[in-house]
Amino acid sequence: MLSIKIAWRNLFRHRGKSMVIGAILFLGAFLLTLGNSVISGMEKGLDKSVVGGFTGDVILISKEQQDPVVLLNMGGKPVKDILRFDTLRPKLESAGLFKNILPVGKGFALALNEQDGVPGFAFLLGVNFRQWKEMFPESMRIMQGNYPDSTGLLMSTGGLDQLYSTMGIWFQPKGFPIDTALLGKDAKEAYPHLTMQNDIVFMGFNEANSTSDIRLPLDGISKFKALNKIWGHFLFVDIASYRRCMGYFSEADQSASLSATQKSLLASDNDNLDALFGTEPPTPAALGPDQTIIAPKQILTTTLPEEAGAYQLVLTRFLPSVDRSQGLDSLQRFLETSGIPLQAVTWQKASGVVGSMTIIIKIALNVFVFLLFFVAIIIIVNTLSMAAMERTSEIGMMRAVGAQKSFITKMFLLETGFLSVVFGGLGILIGVATVLVVRWWGLTTENDILQLLYGGDTFKPLFGIADLILTVIQLTLVTFLASIYPVRVAKSITPLDAISRD
Amino acid sequence: MNIVEINGLTKDYPLDKTIVHALRGVDLKIAQGSLMSIIGPSGSGKTTLLNMIGCVDKATAGTVKIGGVDISGLSDRQITDLRLHKVGFIFQTFNLIPVLNTLENVEFPLLLMGKLSNAQIRAKAKKLLDAVGLGDYFNHRPGELSGGQRQRVAIARALVTEPSIVLADEPTANLDSVTGASILNLMQSMNKELGTTFIFSTHDPDVLQYARSIVKIHDGRIVEA
Ligand SMILES: Nc1ncnc2c1ncn2[C@@H]1O[C@H](COP(=O)(O)OP(=O)(O)O)[C@@H](O)[C@H]1O
Ligand SMILES: [Mg+2]
Repeated sequence: MLSIKIAWRNLFRHRGKSMVIGAILFLGAFLLTLGNSVISGMEKGLDKSVVGGFTGDVILISKEQQDPVVLLNMGGKPVKDILRFDTLRPKLESAGLFKNILPVGKGFALALNEQDGVPGFAFLLGVNFRQWKEMFPESMRIMQGNYPDSTGLLMSTGGLDQLYSTMGIWFQPKGFPIDTALLGKDAKEAYPHLTMQNDIVFMGFNEANSTSDIRLPLDGISKFKALNKIWGHFLFVDIASYRRCMGYFSEADQSASLSATQKSLLASDNDNLDALFGTEPPTPAALGPDQTIIAPKQILTTTLPEEAGAYQLVLTRFLPSVDRSQGLDSLQRFLETSGIPLQAVTWQKASGVVGSMTIIIKIALNVFVFLLFFVAIIIIVNTLSMAAMERTSEIGMMRAVGAQKSFITKMFLLETGFLSVVFGGLGILIGVATVLVVRWWGLTTENDILQLLYGGDTFKPLFGIADLILTVIQLTLVTFLASIYPVRVAKSITPLDAISRD
Repeated sequence: MNIVEINGLTKDYPLDKTIVHALRGVDLKIAQGSLMSIIGPSGSGKTTLLNMIGCVDKATAGTVKIGGVDISGLSDRQITDLRLHKVGFIFQTFNLIPVLNTLENVEFPLLLMGKLSNAQIRAKAKKLLDAVGLGDYFNHRPGELSGGQRQRVAIARALVTEPSIVLADEPTANLDSVTGASILNLMQSMNKELGTTFIFSTHDPDVLQYARSIVKIHDGRIVEA
């Protein structure tokens, strides 16, 4: 076709201009590709390391809980209790949304320093270890010791580092030598003169401000596959020990606590615990309506299940067929209509600063992409308008000979279109290649904020079909927007403009 | 029959705070098949008059009719179409599309029309290039041609659509006298063979011998027809 032929040949005739616009389009497409890949990789990475590693798709909290920041609420108020979950579980399951439902206890606890030093602090996560592993099979690796069975304490290297830096004590599972590779920076410096303990005494705080303490031996050291530092704020204990530490005394809690291991623990441990279970009467801290305080003797015969006791959060994973945001919507509607006293929050909301941080990083990336867009458009508009004016005689002559305005428009759009396809395409290709190299390179970081940007410990930008479509749309938009004004300039050239130049 | 009819045509150009009266009331009838020369000194209004006839400029007052149609009422689209079908232009300079070769330049208006098949268009363009003596230059780009050769290509392009009028504004001004003469000879023979109306302007009395009718213009008025 005529306009294609002219446009194509003009590209080579005006090489300088073509190169300038081509370079901008190349760079623009390249950076757009990278930007979109980073955003995409971050989303996918966070999905894997947050949703699949720690929080699940949606977190359920008590309806009475006002502040949705229930995960990383440093020094915040205790999270409201969820009671009689054994009765709630069947109702939740009837929604047909969930693959996993895992109630957990979450509370703030002091780690008492038995070496006359400063106490440490940590979030305790009371879990059913078996269920946790079922729900988050890929979440962590055991670096030393054992993954606890029904009872026990599991700490991540991130958590150990944090406790070491405040308390000056390194906790180590009994019977395992210190593995220097697991030591944090501070601990490594002190090694081998490291103050070491095999167990740790936690004192929990509950809503009623009553406290109790519990000594727990460390079963194992774990490492989260991603965001080890952030998740390191949480120490994992079995739900029964957790409840005792937090001062919850219910029938179910007590019954669960009296497993064989716990009894041996009781026998071997210090006064604190003895006092707690022996002479002093239990405190009615957070008892549900159905719950009664009972004498220790009766405990042995009780059949109330573990899930009848107090929890703070319910972590959930949707069925693979359920889209997360749609699932959240229908879950909220379901909770509303079925009268379950729970509310659903996203992990972004639940993790407060961290959640907002990821949103901020995402916004920043998008702003970057937008600015890029803007600058590219301005440069292209300039170059193209100048090119249009330089060709006044040629365009005016075409118009005199009988070319309509639409022909000139077509010619111009085709020229920029060619450049966009060739150089933009090249930019995308090189961008994808760069993404692949970066993925292969496997940049890692220990920095919390960078980990959020990376969506994990390793920088894994991602360029999928959706990103390709997005980038192509963005590039097309840049090309189109950048052409509007120059095309208007070219269209307004009259035959007279060409003649009066003679 | 008159292909061009001009009545009371005036054209004013604003220039700084004054007004230049380029044409001050021109009446002119041009018969089909004429070979007319418009002569006058520089600044007399020749280019302005040709622009009016070629439908590339609008009159301040008066009417211009091409083939009986008053062009003042037409849209840009219609006027462009009129130029494509009825008018052929030969500019003084810069009259070809630099990225197209000789053959493609001549084909250009026919391709815009889109009426004939590509083969027919090619054949027509070749025939006209042969007629203007450029049979061996089909694949040359304008940059590879001399001024005279380019002017010939422009003539071939102006004629290829079989227009009612061909306008040439000082077609020989940039050419040496020998080349200029050959161009005017070519116009003469085309006028004879095809019956196309040619109107060319000049300020050089020596080229008047090629015209069959002469209009003298001075200071925006026709002084002798
Ligand atoms: N675009 C314009 N703006 C202002 N004055 C113009 C313009 N075009 C032509 N003129 C003036 O109109 C008069 C006629 O010009 P023109 O038709 O170009 O004369 P010629 O072609 O005979 O030399 C001249 O005085 C010229 O300066
Ligand atoms: Mg002139």
